[in-house]
Amino acid sequence: MFFKKYRKKTEGAIRFYDLHSPGTRFATVLIFLAAVVFLVIALFPMFWVAVSGFKDIQELRLTTSILPKSFDINSYVKTWNDFKFGKYYLNSFISVAGGVVCALLFNGTIAYVLAILKPRGHKVVFALVMWSLLIPPTTGIVALFVNIKRIGLTGSFLPLWLSMGANAFWVVLFKQFFEGLPREYFEAAQLDGCSDWRMFWNIVLPLSKPILMVVAIFAVTAAWSDFLLPYLVLSGSGKETVMVRLFNFRTAIKHTDVDLIRAIVFSVIPPTIIFAIFQKQITQGIAAGGIKG
Amino acid sequence: MLPALILFAFFVWEPLLESVRLSMYHAKGVQLLDFAWFENYADVFRHPDFWPAIRNTFLYIFWSLILGFWIPIIIASLLTEVVHFKGLFRTGIYFPNIVPGISGVMLWGFMFRPGKTGVLNILLGHLGIDPQLWLTNPHLTIPLIVLTMTWKAAGSTALVYMAGISSINPELYEAASIDGAKPFQRFLHITLPGILSLGKMLLILQIISVFQILYEPLVMTNGGPNNASISIMQLVYKYAFEDFNYPMAAALSVLICLILGVLTMVYFRVTKKADD
Repeated sequence: MFFKKYRKKTEGAIRFYDLHSPGTRFATVLIFLAAVVFLVIALFPMFWVAVSGFKDIQELRLTTSILPKSFDINSYVKTWNDFKFGKYYLNSFISVAGGVVCALLFNGTIAYVLAILKPRGHKVVFALVMWSLLIPPTTGIVALFVNIKRIGLTGSFLPLWLSMGANAFWVVLFKQFFEGLPREYFEAAQLDGCSDWRMFWNIVLPLSKPILMVVAIFAVTAAWSDFLLPYLVLSGSGKETVMVRLFNFRTAIKHTDVDLIRAIVFSVIPPTIIFAIFQKQITQGIAAGGIKG
Repeated sequence: MLPALILFAFFVWEPLLESVRLSMYHAKGVQLLDFAWFENYADVFRHPDFWPAIRNTFLYIFWSLILGFWIPIIIASLLTEVVHFKGLFRTGIYFPNIVPGISGVMLWGFMFRPGKTGVLNILLGHLGIDPQLWLTNPHLTIPLIVLTMTWKAAGSTALVYMAGISSINPELYEAASIDGAKPFQRFLHITLPGILSLGKMLLILQIISVFQILYEPLVMTNGGPNNASISIMQLVYKYAFEDFNYPMAAALSVLICLILGVLTMVYFRVTKKADD
């Protein structure tokens, strides 16, 4: 029954032996109900958007029912085609793919150097990297954009890819993981005359699959959701990502609210799929990292 | 390592210095003209939107301390006590976090539609409550925007707290029960102190991130009604990317950076004292 499962509980304040008191029993039921309420609040808005995408504009504006009259997938297909979401998806995929490669390669190598090779001055470099955790990322955006414009990289994916390669939080995640690897491997490899690069490719990377996975997942969601820099760099170039397109709905006039609702759904589908597949890695990564990804 | 360092330099460190340089010049587009000393800073202070934006930013922080800070702690404390469908609850409350920022705020724009067919008004209607104005009510704008941010962020923060709670030594609870402490007393005297230091860290991170709030007011209200929700970062955005006045935007960025630096230092002082 409901209370039986509490026998195995070892975390938190309430234990199985507390349940002989009716007050505590009542409290556990209340807590369970509160959790259900939180769950509904967390999920309801997305649920509403997904079902409202099936409504037509009259139905959305005039009726007060939550569910649509009919579930006709063609309404979604029409918005997809009218607003060429295929193109924006492709742009987003290009931007995400390059971003993930850069995120793994650059953050991984710097963490490898800081954690294992430790050349002279590595402490200074690490301090600088840690400082960038404290530097609010948006305060440099104006100067960054001016720089990108000066070297003529607007309208290119390159700055977006590379920007993923300078993330202090991911460097810290990598570094912590590398430091936990057994040192004997590296000492043995160095004795055998293994070069630093080969050690990275042949020894460190094969051992680091879990952390590569976590950072890759973070990088995918970050690159997909990233908005301000893509908006500034890609606007008007024909390479706009899904997020940029979505933001442009704000000012464009040739759409209805239901189109916007469907566009929101399109923008949420890929991260939802990633999340559905990798939810374990994501939730554990969050808990272990201690900082929002 | 060198390429990665260059990236950090280009994307993180150099823009910071460049902001300072940029803020001291007159410029036409991205072309620097002549040295302007602190004229841009004076312009920033004289701008009629500056003080409302400062006031609002602190209001955002105030509300995020009231809502955004406590809600994850409450969720985490409650979910720790739940034993059924653990995985479902954890995944479910984390879900809003994977919704991209822009999509999330546009979504809540629909929730907060005024008039009878706004989603929240429909729900209130079932309870027999009249339709509300939501975001167009200047007194509610900021708290509601903070609520939206909390909806998005609370799940992941709650997971961090839950990890913190499960790392508390279970023997403490056993010992307390033997001494006759009731569950709620155990929560007050063991769980809460156990996540105190985690809470301090997350608090400062939260203040730093709320200070830079941009998308939410930009998309949901565009700073309105009548500047009631404009934030400092939004002002930076406006100067740089609507007026193309990069030096003025840079000057304001530098000011934000300074304020955040001071806040961080205050935080380190305070926690150091508390630890002594």
